[in-house]
Amino acid sequence: MSTVAIAEVRAKALKARAELEPTPWIAPVKDQPKHDDSNINKSLLSYIWKDTDQGWLKMLGLTSAGVGLLTFAIIVTVVKGIGMWGNNKTVGWGWGITNFVWWIGIGHAGTLISAILLLFQQKWRTSINRFAEAMTLFAVVCAGLYPILHTGRPWLAIYWLFPYPNTMWIWPNFKSPLMWDVFAVSTYLTTSLLFWYLGLIPDVASLRDASVGTLRRKIYGVLALGWTGSARAWNHYKIAYLLLAGIATPLVLSVHTIVSFDFAVAVIPGWHTTIFPPYFVAGAVFSGFAMVCTLMLPARKILGIEHVITPRHIELMCKVMLLTGMIVTYGYVMEHFASFYSANPYEYFAFYNRRAGPMNHIFFLMVFCNCITPHLFWTKWGRTNLWAVWVASIFINIGMWCERFVIFVISLHRDFLPSSWVAFHPTWVDISLYVGTICLFLTLMLLFVRFLPAVAVSEIKELRLEMEHAEHAAHEAETATMAAASGGVPPAAHAAPISGKEG
Amino acid sequence: MSANHDTHAAATPSVHELAVLKSGSAMKIAAALGLLGMIATGAGIASAPHETMISYLWAFAFWVGISLGGLFLVMIFNAAGARWTIVLRRAMETMAAPLPLFALLFIPILVNAKQLYSWMTPSSLSPELTKLMPAKQFWLNTNGFTIRAVVYFIMFIAVQQLLYSWSLKQDSEGSAALTRKQRSFSAGILPFMAIAFSVAAVDWLMTLEPGFSSTIFGVYYFAGSFLGAVSFLALASALARGTSGAHAALMQKDHWHNLGKLMLAFTAFWAYIAFSQFLLIWIANLPDEIPWFISRTTGPWKPIFWMLVVGHFFIPFFTLLSRDLKMVPGKLALVAAWILVSGMLDTYWLIVPAFHDAPSFHWTMITAFLGIGGLAISLALFRASGRYGVPVGDPYLDDSLRYSQP
Repeated sequence: MSTVAIAEVRAKALKARAELEPTPWIAPVKDQPKHDDSNINKSLLSYIWKDTDQGWLKMLGLTSAGVGLLTFAIIVTVVKGIGMWGNNKTVGWGWGITNFVWWIGIGHAGTLISAILLLFQQKWRTSINRFAEAMTLFAVVCAGLYPILHTGRPWLAIYWLFPYPNTMWIWPNFKSPLMWDVFAVSTYLTTSLLFWYLGLIPDVASLRDASVGTLRRKIYGVLALGWTGSARAWNHYKIAYLLLAGIATPLVLSVHTIVSFDFAVAVIPGWHTTIFPPYFVAGAVFSGFAMVCTLMLPARKILGIEHVITPRHIELMCKVMLLTGMIVTYGYVMEHFASFYSANPYEYFAFYNRRAGPMNHIFFLMVFCNCITPHLFWTKWGRTNLWAVWVASIFINIGMWCERFVIFVISLHRDFLPSSWVAFHPTWVDISLYVGTICLFLTLMLLFVRFLPAVAVSEIKELRLEMEHAEHAAHEAETATMAAASGGVPPAAHAAPISGKEG
Repeated sequence: MSANHDTHAAATPSVHELAVLKSGSAMKIAAALGLLGMIATGAGIASAPHETMISYLWAFAFWVGISLGGLFLVMIFNAAGARWTIVLRRAMETMAAPLPLFALLFIPILVNAKQLYSWMTPSSLSPELTKLMPAKQFWLNTNGFTIRAVVYFIMFIAVQQLLYSWSLKQDSEGSAALTRKQRSFSAGILPFMAIAFSVAAVDWLMTLEPGFSSTIFGVYYFAGSFLGAVSFLALASALARGTSGAHAALMQKDHWHNLGKLMLAFTAFWAYIAFSQFLLIWIANLPDEIPWFISRTTGPWKPIFWMLVVGHFFIPFFTLLSRDLKMVPGKLALVAAWILVSGMLDTYWLIVPAFHDAPSFHWTMITAFLGIGGLAISLALFRASGRYGVPVGDPYLDDSLRYSQP
């Protein structure tokens, strides 16, 4: 009795489906009616064979100069000591820790995209994972510099940081989150590197097979680790990839959780609060996606990969930023609420000092960038206007840097003893180190997009096949439903009647 | 259930074969148990108001968490535009359907609030707390508590009713506009619902100990409730397999597998939040915070704490790692039941140590649990009856039915 009614509504629903269906993950390209493996290869790998571009060289020159500045600042720090930084007796952790946490956070987009979105079966990750994973690696490299430099004598850092006893059999303090950080960050770097490299192997093999010069062929040949593309190799590859994703998933949470422990285990008001772990993780993903947008929006245009990184991909990244931005806002609200609710005068003052202290402009800049800017992404215009997205993503990067500054420095500079209250000013060495790591990061990114495929080409090819299959299945289902709606019997119905059906 | 992918197509029941759900004996049994439980609990309130209200709050917090968890499932999957979950959506909506009843069931808590919340009788507070009370009064005052509770329930009920009515309307209309409406409304309201849920957790559970404050508390209660909701969904789906017209008949191996994966993920998430809260408070050892954990992790409460560590995390986590187990509905349902029992223990551990130095049992725990749960389940089944077990007008229903994981 109800069979016909369902068939009718299904027919209507299928029309609705056609209306709702978003644009495909791989956009059509002019002069190419249909994508196939060869033209995907060509469009995504060909820029590697082009002659070195003058613009690229100029950018590389600029960023390399910044790396020179970084080197100089490192030498000054090592030769003259930490006194060259703005840190003082009250603010023991200044820009160094701020930059460390900022960089570690930026890396998180890569791990989230490669691991969690893979487990969530999110197909859109395919186009952006390689780029974001490279960012992760380079960001961790930049982050790692700061704590190593802050030890003052980096050549001894291995004795202080790793659980490797010195001649007096003194071990590092295992109850210290700084110790856990060493494990967390080094595991993170190792796993991210393996993940990134494993994903690269089939694409590097493609480059090897297509390369013209002997030298290039040899280099890509060594990097491809003898990849043949046999079914057996693919089978192993798939298993390894999924396993690494499983291993990397807890890392997305654990790294920034442990970074948050660096502060939250202490009893400093403004640092010690239980929401820190999830709120730091969300902030990390927030800033990571912002940085992906900042770099990818120009890169997709310059590299000519706009057909695989479509506006729909950018919209989704905006939605991730909107979500994580709101989680971060939730963290701020809860912290400030607790500063009132706990009725603890020190707790109250720490947050009062953020809102009304001498550095409150940084607090309000943070609120503007992190809490207000992402709401632009509620609107379709905000998600699809590339300039709007780009500017917003830069705001978010700034906001997340401010957040760390607010938490670390503003909580410290007015401590329990008013006579030790100080202001904090960064020195030229602080600024040079920060600018220098940004340049180091950009240099590594420039080299990456020049010599390695910025998009996971083999995965795009797989995605194309999956899309074709899905289209086929949808078409079959549609035919069956339409037949049922026009009075025919749906093919599945006579094959297996449902067990509980009446009459 | 088909044994492997090759026989999938042949064994898949078609959505065209579905009939509407009928009200069955389960609904009547739940209603009878619920009524009996509520009557007995009423007698309990008359004879032992303090003990009964503790039991009542425990049962209420557990069941309303699951119902709200169901609503969050609907909102999250709507907002994400998820396709594989469409076959489960009506079941999730049904879990949220008793929310109006929970507003009624909250009235006894409001009326007898003084039995539970010590800050409502300032004379009973310790000297330290009495000193802090003026600063806390902006939040800890009876009028505020009542008004906020009304606001939470207005929000919960309005969101539930709107989403449910659009979904039901789509059963006959099958329009794209209704899908768009459900998606954008869910996304837009989620932030407000998240705040309402966590502040409700602060009001109803955290202020039981007015000296304690933890910024992650709302997330902790959410994590437990959401895990409970996913587990309840798995358990209820497994039980509904033989029911005429139920969604469970259309669920494939991969749907069960995904439910199992969600249970695994949120078991880990709960443990992550619980551990974060524990570690930070334990290691800092501050006088504001540590008493909450001392009373819950030492002395007679220590075994309960360890039961939670093992029973709410280690056992379900390692069991759910098995891929085969997650694909067998019967086995998955067993784990789900285990998680729900652990969730009851978790809620008990959150509430009761505020009142008793040692785990205690009062007979009204059984009656309140059956009373609230029975009424809620019977109302849910009542609202589901006469309707399709799956959203038959959803544009992506076919996508959900033929979902197979890569």
